[in-house]
Amino acid sequence: MSDLAIELRGVGKNYRYFTLNNIDLKVPEGQIMGLIGPNGAGKSTTIRILLGLVHQDSGEVRVLGHRMPAEQIAAKWDVGFASEDMRLYDAMTLGWHMGFMQRIYPNWDAVYAQVLLKRFGLRADQRIKGISHGQRVKATMLLVLARKPKLLVLDEPTTGLDPVARHEILRELTAVMADEGRSILFSSHNTHDVEQISDQITFIDRGHIIDSMDKEVYLDRWRRLRLEVPHGVELPVLPGIIGVQQNGRLAIATANAYVPDLANAYESRGARVQRIETMTLEEIFVANVEHSREGVEA
Amino acid sequence: MKGSAVGRLIWKDWQMGRVPILITMVWGAAALCIVPWGSQSAIVTGGVLFFIPLILMAHMLPLVGIGNERKNKNLAFLMSLPISSIQYTTSKLISSLLIFLIPWVTLVSAAVLLVEIRGVVPRGSIPVLMILAFMPVIGFCLITGACLVGESEGWGIAANVFCSSTYGLTWYFMTQTPALMANVTSPRVVWSSTSVTVLATEVSASVLLLGLTYFLQSRKRDFT
Repeated sequence: MSDLAIELRGVGKNYRYFTLNNIDLKVPEGQIMGLIGPNGAGKSTTIRILLGLVHQDSGEVRVLGHRMPAEQIAAKWDVGFASEDMRLYDAMTLGWHMGFMQRIYPNWDAVYAQVLLKRFGLRADQRIKGISHGQRVKATMLLVLARKPKLLVLDEPTTGLDPVARHEILRELTAVMADEGRSILFSSHNTHDVEQISDQITFIDRGHIIDSMDKEVYLDRWRRLRLEVPHGVELPVLPGIIGVQQNGRLAIATANAYVPDLANAYESRGARVQRIETMTLEEIFVANVEHSREGVEA
Repeated sequence: MKGSAVGRLIWKDWQMGRVPILITMVWGAAALCIVPWGSQSAIVTGGVLFFIPLILMAHMLPLVGIGNERKNKNLAFLMSLPISSIQYTTSKLISSLLIFLIPWVTLVSAAVLLVEIRGVVPRGSIPVLMILAFMPVIGFCLITGACLVGESEGWGIAANVFCSSTYGLTWYFMTQTPALMANVTSPRVVWSSTSVTVLATEVSASVLLLGLTYFLQSRKRDFT
């Protein structure tokens, strides 16, 4: 048994208007990986490949040590999957769905299911048809969590939720991780949610993984340097600086491998460093995507 | 212990299909109750009303049970369970056949018994009755295949419209085929070679359609 919950090596998938290219992704057991990308980046395709619903054209996929898609049934016993476009049966009650899952999954934790029912403010006897979007998402999460999966794969689970419902879901996910053997792959374009709970971040855009590393390392390495550039001074091209926006005497340099020496290098060439700012994950994400696209277009 | 989730999917469909089964049976039984009144209009009315629930069931079951499951995005929920796409297909074919064939077998048997026992309708009509009764079975197999393989509501509706239009045409050609109609008024059941051939063709077509559906589904690389 590998100590990786998810391992994708050189995975590719060709569609007429979209190609998933050479995807390498590793999620160690006990980690939360945030998969961030704009709409149409390839997040859902990657997740469908992970679940064996889409067969990759090239590369290798292992989920909890099982080869996908060949061993998808064995893998899916221990995988809890929820996605934004997943719906329960409108005509049935949540209680009916809970009974359905309980009959399938031997690990179903009925006590925990009742706890979640209360915590999420849901009622087992209510038909799915009559409940709000937020409650539907919570109901889906209840069904996923109470089966006690070793791996949770969540595709945009918080989309369309109000802040309170989002907070409830994220809190529960964090609680789930108290069991160290569990892992989560959390896909979203909402960087705020991902930033809150993830240990590792992967950025994906236009079918390519553009970066993947520890969240803290990301936040530590990315900086924005606000510079004052006197007349006649030309800013040098420095390693670790991925972009400079200059407007008159003011310039903003974005660093993806920040070290204090960068500021010294600008100062030594005559520029004045006004401020060095940390960046939010969203800012890093946008800068990263833009940089990646510029590289491709160049 | 981990068992097969396929059985649970069939059980789920069975639970959801109980009401349509009941409605079909009650409707079909009520139609059959009209026939023994004996007048020609009662026989025709009862006969037509008898086929309506069979056709409705044959057409609506795949559209609702398979098409709507995809349209309403329940499929993503099902495919998160420990099943493969071919297991999903297997469960759908078994559960749909079960839900369709229970009222079909019951009602067709009741109709045959009614002809045999009450004698209001000549026994010679039984081969034609069987041939007519098998037409919704072919329709069911075609629409089920279209819904599963086509992966869109459009294919299901197209198959539905095609079948609905074909029934009237087929019935017309049947009445124009002397080899089929010659013994309809006979007091005993006569299985002519033409009747047997038509019936065998219907059964073969149904089996072929289901087999083709299974084959095409098993070759799919993407299940979305």
